[in-house]
Amino acid sequence: MIAAARVALGIAALALWQAAHWAIGAEWISGPADVVRRLLEITASGELARHTLATLTEAAFGFLLGGGAGILLPFALRLSPRLTAALDPFFAAAMGVPKLALAPLLILWFGIGLVSKVVFVGAVVFFFLFFNVLAGVRSIDPRLASAVRVLGAREWTVTREIAWHTALPYVFAGLKVALPRAISAAVVGEFIAADRGLGYYINNARAMADPVGLFTGVAVVTALVLVIDAGLERVQAQSLAWRPLSRDVAV
Amino acid sequence: MSDATVLLEVRGLGRRFEPRAGGGQAMFAIRDLSFDVRDGELLTIVGPSGSGKSTLLNLIAQIDAPTEGEIRFRGEAIAGPNMRALRPGWDRQFGYVTQDDTLLPWRTLLDNVLFPLRVQGRLSAHTRERAADLMRAVGLERFERYYPHELSGGMRKRAALIRTLVYDPPVILMDEPFGALDAQTRTQLQTDLLTLWSLGRKTIVFVTHDIAEAIALGDRALVFTRAPARVQSEHRIPIARPRDVRNIYLLDGFAETYQRIRKELS
Repeated sequence: MIAAARVALGIAALALWQAAHWAIGAEWISGPADVVRRLLEITASGELARHTLATLTEAAFGFLLGGGAGILLPFALRLSPRLTAALDPFFAAAMGVPKLALAPLLILWFGIGLVSKVVFVGAVVFFFLFFNVLAGVRSIDPRLASAVRVLGAREWTVTREIAWHTALPYVFAGLKVALPRAISAAVVGEFIAADRGLGYYINNARAMADPVGLFTGVAVVTALVLVIDAGLERVQAQSLAWRPLSRDVAV
Repeated sequence: MSDATVLLEVRGLGRRFEPRAGGGQAMFAIRDLSFDVRDGELLTIVGPSGSGKSTLLNLIAQIDAPTEGEIRFRGEAIAGPNMRALRPGWDRQFGYVTQDDTLLPWRTLLDNVLFPLRVQGRLSAHTRERAADLMRAVGLERFERYYPHELSGGMRKRAALIRTLVYDPPVILMDEPFGALDAQTRTQLQTDLLTLWSLGRKTIVFVTHDIAEAIALGDRALVFTRAPARVQSEHRIPIARPRDVRNIYLLDGFAETYQRIRKELS
């Protein structure tokens, strides 16, 4: 039932796209057929794989850097509430800096290669996870923590058992937002200065007045985000299987 | 009663709670509270709700520190002035079955019951066997793989009790553990508790606001005053063991003890 509705909606969206293509013209809106043809071309030429791999590499390393720090730091800060309180305004200020505005600066510092994009993706991703996970770690039920301490648990066990499981839904909520942003950030970094990557491909298509290239690039980025999101949903459903909620959602 | 049989001594204990920001005044939940707990006895404490009973158990369990007074365990001071550092459970000497459900919601029932053994590094074929025996004794053996939220309140209470019994702490503190249950489940759990206690003869401090429960379970019942709580009176329960909790109202000595305590609480 849901699957049928999805297929119908998908067909409707495609039809709308095609209609817009006919109505507005190929120089503004490329048709689905042109995009598919272009996809086949760049798949055959190896261009697609090269650019996708470049973007994924930047997003993945940046994500490991920023996401790793964003997830682990709240657990470390849990051990010192005073330090957390002292650092609070600085985190808020750092979050207030518009990360997109930093991209040119990062390219000045780290060059047009992999490193500048990794740092940029890391900076974007870090805050999404950090504040989410911090909220998760703070929502620990103190009664659960006391109970396991009475049972003989040390602080490390409280962190691993209580803090981790309590924060896990928040981790996933953060990932849900942060993973697509990681891809976007890599693409934006490539807009500014790069010699490969999907952002480079899109920007290049703009410079060459190639609407089919623009549409194809955006379609590939979207597909990438959808695949990553589907993967995340699966991991989440498995990790949170104990929750009453996820059972309803998984149907 | 010789001193050798006294396991826990509570002396002049007080716990003050500071006012919340924005008003109110500091309040003592308990103050000037003194009593003894003897080795192997089942001591019940009954008092009006809000009379600091949970506060007392938190202090004994070492998840909270007293403002004044002292607690001694086997003659050694474990809480008192100049002892700010808490050792929850006093190195697994005190088990604590709380009023709220503190099972870990992300672990199955069996994992919850085995959790203390795992944390204490005592998981073995022998201790697993013991856990399985206890699960069987309270009729939970078919629910091992379920998560807590999939089980009834009574089952969760049983699991919480078993989780404490499984690592065999010499003293068990129980804070209205059967409070939120229907009468039938409650009677069943009381019977289970007495059976398990008669097998192991642990020292149990059992807090309740239900006079009948205090009499049905206890060797001795302490009646607490309203906050700040002190011991108002002490009652030896004259009912012989083993007791039939289901028909406790009919047993010799119940009615008069009940009347005596009720008069004091009103």
